[in-house]
Amino acid sequence: MRFDLKVALRYLLSNRLQSALLIGGVAIAVTVFTFNAALINGLAEFQIARVVGNSSHVTIEPAKPMPAVAPARDGAERLVVSQRALERRAQIKQWRTVESIVDTIPGVTGVSANILGTGLVSRGQQTLPVTLKGVEPSRLSAIAPIGDAIVEGEPQLGLNDILIGRRLANDLGIRIGQPIFIASDQGRERSLTVRGLYATGVESLDARLAFINLATARVLFNLPDGLSEIEIKLSNVYMARAVAKQLADTTGLEATAWMDKNQRLREALEGQGSSGNIIKMFTLITIVVGVASALLLTTFRRRPEIGIMRSFGISENFVLSVFMLQGALIGIIGSIVGCLLGYGFSVFLANVSGGRLPVDPSLGQYDVALLLAAAASILAAVWPARAASRIDPVEAISQ
Amino acid sequence: MIKLKMSNIPVNEAIVKAVPLLEVSDLRKTFVDRDFQTPVLKGVNFTIGTGEMVAMLGPSGSGKSTLLSILGTLMKPTSGSFRMLGRELTALSQRELSDFRNQQIGFIFQYHHLLPDFSALENVLFPHAGRVGRETRAGRERAAMLLERVGMQDRLHYRATRLSGGQKQRVAIARALMNQPALVLADEPTGNLDRENADQAFALMTEMQRETGTTFLLSTHDRELAERCERRIYIRNGVVDLERVEIAESTEAPRSGLRVIEGTSVIDKTGEGLRLDAQRGRDGRHSAG
Repeated sequence: MRFDLKVALRYLLSNRLQSALLIGGVAIAVTVFTFNAALINGLAEFQIARVVGNSSHVTIEPAKPMPAVAPARDGAERLVVSQRALERRAQIKQWRTVESIVDTIPGVTGVSANILGTGLVSRGQQTLPVTLKGVEPSRLSAIAPIGDAIVEGEPQLGLNDILIGRRLANDLGIRIGQPIFIASDQGRERSLTVRGLYATGVESLDARLAFINLATARVLFNLPDGLSEIEIKLSNVYMARAVAKQLADTTGLEATAWMDKNQRLREALEGQGSSGNIIKMFTLITIVVGVASALLLTTFRRRPEIGIMRSFGISENFVLSVFMLQGALIGIIGSIVGCLLGYGFSVFLANVSGGRLPVDPSLGQYDVALLLAAAASILAAVWPARAASRIDPVEAISQ
Repeated sequence: MIKLKMSNIPVNEAIVKAVPLLEVSDLRKTFVDRDFQTPVLKGVNFTIGTGEMVAMLGPSGSGKSTLLSILGTLMKPTSGSFRMLGRELTALSQRELSDFRNQQIGFIFQYHHLLPDFSALENVLFPHAGRVGRETRAGRERAAMLLERVGMQDRLHYRATRLSGGQKQRVAIARALMNQPALVLADEPTGNLDRENADQAFALMTEMQRETGTTFLLSTHDRELAERCERRIYIRNGVVDLERVEIAESTEAPRSGLRVIEGTSVIDKTGEGLRLDAQRGRDGRHSAG
């Protein structure tokens, strides 16, 4: 064993009460840190899961066509009033290429090529506006778990089938197997049979959306070979921005990550995150202040001993590392204990609340807590250690 | 328990002792506190030969401790020089001095100053382990051997706090010798011990000096012990008052030696010493009245 480590350990063990209190202090700070992380991150995951679980993580849409502007000659400035070109319908025409690019991206768990459009559903005298989503039948559940959410009927999408939310069905007073009349915003009409009813719990899906076969959508919305959007689901939702940027760069289309489509959610998460960070910062400050003051006291108490060591030629660096090691040992042991306590407390609360409190013990940021708490303790030891190493042996011995 | 070994002095010892280990010339130290200057050493000169055992005597406040701190490289002199083993120590950096101290100088203090959290063995081993960064087998063996030599073989693993005063001082002597230093500086090494323990500790130092050839410089108020040293240096009022090279008249006649010392201490060219005594007497009367 290194001799400085042995001396540091001996010093910690010689004053067990002080060491225990110090380690306990660090442990409590780390417990607060990790529990706070488990709570804030658990809450964020909970909110994200609710939003992201039923929607796409990255959505590719047609680029907004802007009119070309001829460059000015000889560097002259040119004032241009541009207006989005509206003479062409926005659609993804090269979707096969885009899909093959998407296939090469790691972490993609689901892809859905959709045609979106607005239409009116009517039955008898009841007419309601709906969003019609044309999907390939095999990819019905690629984005939202519609297949699992079917409460009546079958998750089947034949050419003449339609799947609607239970709320919409109630509003229309319609049941499985009955026909409904669809009129698209392109002026085309079709009669479809209700094949299944779903209930996802998300209002916008259950009351205002209906799924139809992609081929049927092509006819209804007059898009023989284009798409309105390609939706992508990822294994890691936080990779969405990176994936969106990569796709936008390679395809020239617009690719938007879920967090940029959900401004409010993002703001809420950021608010929670920063309040959590303030708490974490205070726990770290507590560690620094506690460890520094205790070690400084130890330094004063051990002045004569340090003087003796210096008198027989023990180097300043040795004294320095003895005190730095004490800080490091307190930090490492304290934060390991704190991580265990924080995990235990999170598990306990998650179980006791029966899922009502969105604490996720696996999101306690234990590695970060361990690293930061140890770093804070070592940082806190710098001042006392320097003070110790600079003790004048003559003065200290004559004390 | 520990007997003073009266080994025959080897033929060449006189030659070895003629080789100077420590040469101090015009060493001065002035403490400055704001505008207030206190000269403590006012030009000290002496030479100590290799393997000598020298006692340093002088009244309290005469500068003995300051001189020992400077010779022990714990303190820098204001001016002057001192050479040890041919090296000018006033020219070395703090780091070099620390290394030099570790390898060439051993300290024994009045209040033994063992590290209380460590065992006797660890205390002796400390100067070695602290330098090489770990406890080596060779180091442990040497520490154990030294402790055995000072009669502490039954207390190797006793914490320093569990040892008696005499035992602590014996451990301190072993520790001072751990790194085989050329010079051991002892500041009132027996000042805190009773007569019996003081005699034992002194006998031990004498034995170690003879066996290892280590030079000992010890400051003391104990004239009986000083008389048993080979030579005495008197410090008074910041200068070497009188330097006499004498071969010890050996331990069997301490009384005759004592007389010589008493005689020399009265001799004072400046009259400083006498005046000091007179002053002390006046103060005593003043406080009594």
